Amino acid sequence: MRMTKYILKRLSIVALTLFILLTIVFFMFRVIPGDPVSMFIDSGLDKESQELMMKMYGLDKPLWDQYVIYIKGVLHGDFGNSFTYSKPVLDVIGERFLNTLVLTTTSLLIAFSVGITAGSYLAWHRNTKIDLFGTVMALIIRCAPVFWTGMILLTVFAFKLDWLPLGGMTTVGSNFTSFWDKIFSLDFLKHLILPAITSALYSMATPTLLMRTSMLEVIKEDYIELAYAKGLSDRNVRIRHAMRTALLPVVTIFAVQAGLAIGGSVLVETVFRWPGMGREIVLAVASRDYPMAQGAFLFIGFTTISFNLLADVLYAYLDPRVSL
Amino acid sequence: MALLELNEVSIEYKLSNGKLKAVDNVSLNVENGDVVGLVGESGCGKSTLIKGIINLLPSNGKITNGEVIFEGEDLSKLEFEKMRKKRWKEISMITQSAMNSLNPVYRVGNQITEVILEHEKMSKHDAMEKAKELFDLVGLDRARLEDYPHQYSGGMKQRAIIAMSLALDPKLIIADEPTTALDVIVQSQILEKINALLEGYSGSMILVTHDISVVAQTCNKVAVMYGGRIIEYGDVKQVLKKPNHPYTMGLKNAFPSLTGEKKDLISIEGTPPDLSKKIDGCRFKDRCPFVLDKCKSGEMPFTRVESGYYYCARHDEIDHLRELADLSETWDV
Amino acid sequence: MKNVFKVFSKNKIGLIGLIIFVSFVLIAIFANFLAPYDPMEIQFLAEGGVARLQPPSLDHLLGTTYMGRDVLSQMIIGSRVAVLVGVISAVCVAFIGTNIGLIAGYFGGITERILMGIVDVMYGLPFLPFALILVSVLGPGVQNVILAIVLITWRNSSRVIRSQALSLKNRTFIEAAKLSGASDWRILYKHIAPNVIPISLIYVSTSMASAIMTESSISFLGLGDPMQVSWGRILFTCYSSQAMFKAPWWILPPGFAITLLVLSGYMMGRGFEEVANPKLKER
Repeated sequence: MRMTKYILKRLSIVALTLFILLTIVFFMFRVIPGDPVSMFIDSGLDKESQELMMKMYGLDKPLWDQYVIYIKGVLHGDFGNSFTYSKPVLDVIGERFLNTLVLTTTSLLIAFSVGITAGSYLAWHRNTKIDLFGTVMALIIRCAPVFWTGMILLTVFAFKLDWLPLGGMTTVGSNFTSFWDKIFSLDFLKHLILPAITSALYSMATPTLLMRTSMLEVIKEDYIELAYAKGLSDRNVRIRHAMRTALLPVVTIFAVQAGLAIGGSVLVETVFRWPGMGREIVLAVASRDYPMAQGAFLFIGFTTISFNLLADVLYAYLDPRVSL
Repeated sequence: MALLELNEVSIEYKLSNGKLKAVDNVSLNVENGDVVGLVGESGCGKSTLIKGIINLLPSNGKITNGEVIFEGEDLSKLEFEKMRKKRWKEISMITQSAMNSLNPVYRVGNQITEVILEHEKMSKHDAMEKAKELFDLVGLDRARLEDYPHQYSGGMKQRAIIAMSLALDPKLIIADEPTTALDVIVQSQILEKINALLEGYSGSMILVTHDISVVAQTCNKVAVMYGGRIIEYGDVKQVLKKPNHPYTMGLKNAFPSLTGEKKDLISIEGTPPDLSKKIDGCRFKDRCPFVLDKCKSGEMPFTRVESGYYYCARHDEIDHLRELADLSETWDV
Repeated sequence: MKNVFKVFSKNKIGLIGLIIFVSFVLIAIFANFLAPYDPMEIQFLAEGGVARLQPPSLDHLLGTTYMGRDVLSQMIIGSRVAVLVGVISAVCVAFIGTNIGLIAGYFGGITERILMGIVDVMYGLPFLPFALILVSVLGPGVQNVILAIVLITWRNSSRVIRSQALSLKNRTFIEAAKLSGASDWRILYKHIAPNVIPISLIYVSTSMASAIMTESSISFLGLGDPMQVSWGRILFTCYSSQAMFKAPWWILPPGFAITLLVLSGYMMGRGFEEVANPKLKER
């Protein structure tokens, strides 16, 4: 009951944030120097069609009316038409959205599972050379630009060693019966490895360092000593008692890291030519396909907010002291 | 054969600027059924000593000398896995700060069944039944087993830990200042609970405390620790009636009388010795009102009495010192 | 302030960070003297022909690009954009974030709720895509990149500064100032602000790190000023010319430089953290 109420409350905040996001996007594209109309009407069209389009999108009307039309459109799933693809933005985004989701989810899973394990390992071996080395490495990796890491991995593993494909999501010419059929294929997996690892490396340092600090705090707690006094094995104390409790602060940063990873998909997807929303934004911006850029941006914002919500619910679930 | 036999145990901590001898040459016997009070000020080494017994010293601490014989086996030389099997099953603990001794993310019931399942072949359901019985025993509502520690009061947490300590019917329970963190009323409730439970418990207990009146209520033997050494050991009644070491005399007069007779409370001025330095002579020499030149160097003579022993250089004039110690002026500096 | 220097001189991590950062600043200031060639000038081989993708040699210490430009000169000139964007954004971000945090924390009530509500919404904005679109709409140029960075990243510091201001405003010395009749703004800037400066400084250094990273990302995506040499742009040309597989001397230096400069920001932040919270030292 409390849970339902909490989620409802959170969802209403999410709805509000989304609405504000919509508004920001609307004005960002319209209240700018130059001719905003040209941003939404394909200049390649003839004069007549251009005017028709202007009417269709209400671009001849005052800003306020345009805003209402735009919000109404979005609520009905109408994000306008992409110039490049000559079809509704939503049709293009659909699959791109799933592709980005698969990539970021995989990379976040890797980043957090490796980060949490590594962080607790470093804390368990505190003040040793391994600890120092691991901490410094994590710091350096966090500071390396993700696109550069990606380029280097690409050079080494795809070009020099030829173990993995050079980019894209599937080998050109392969056929799949469904989305699920595709993402569980070996070919897809091979294409996923490098971008996922690149993105994971970037997201990994923060959970590693935080887990290490958190573990160092927890290890000093009395319940750890009691767990040993209970005769539990070293492994049991470490995993069941120390790691489980130390995990809590790490969960709180999940939302921030997820936001960064989704934003960072712009870079990773570009380097690996991964057909997701991030790359779509870059392509749309480069070809001045503003309806597309706007739609993709909204979806990325939506994903970020959803991950925020997920992190909050996860935290409440993991920490009994938090009452919803 | 004694249940637990400490023979000349010394424990040292390695610190960044040298060594600290927290326990120095301690010998002690705990027989079956004994309830031994281990008293002393904070920092006297009592916590270190009990951690040494169950082999839970921090990584910079080490037993450098002596044996910890438990049922004929030297625990200090036991490998981790064998020691682990004995923990809680044979020797359980009631920890100093029950407040923080329960893991905040697990239900209390879960933390009790965890230790039962670790050591005994039992179904989860049976373990839970056992936990329920334990809760009845310590006077907690069975339904609270489903709660998390943060939903408990301090006294309830302490009761839960006591219930947990009894879970496997151990031969020895070590209670490390079980009442220190609680407020006064709860303290006496918990103490009564411990006393009541001891009636039905056949094993032994070491009760660590800084409060000698707790010892008087609960224990049959007492070991007084000062500066890393047990300076007096013996039967509770005898030690409290006729303390042999000046420190014990002071300690006895530092707490309100148990028999209710009115007397002035004294306080022992000064600070305990610095254990990171080598101590020459009596450990208590800087604070002892009866200190003489012979107290200031060498080892103090070991005097055996009817029920125990003590270390004091003025052992031949103890009766006289005891009279002086009862006067509060003696302790004024 | 004196305290800051004292702690810094004893804090090894902070000091190393400071040294790295100052070295980059010096390189940026004297870039024109240090760069052996014009970074955009096409180099020719002695025997004629463009010096494309030449591996490092005495003439070109870091080799040449696909277009025949000197990598070392590009690296040195490129440091200017990184340092400029880093420093200006960091100062603006910390200034805005600190002020908003102070005002929200001190005045509380509806002011606080509105300001913190804005911060919450800002956290829902995906940072890099936002910056990307803003720069593409406003047009390339260092000032637009800085604007995009500042518009979003002030959110990070304002939350922490707010909670600091919140805890400070109930201290006795603030109460005393109030009783003596000081105005709200005077109390805020004379008494509370100085106490949050060490924390602001943490954000100056970490914001600098993230600004440098953002600038290089935007340039890498091809949205930087084409007339301006920057590390991100070097990597962009390297990637798009498809020569990165063959020319490690071209791809490695910009990445190392970015990493090092960003790292120096975090290291200095760590130094300031110790100033703000001396307890950390005990760890």
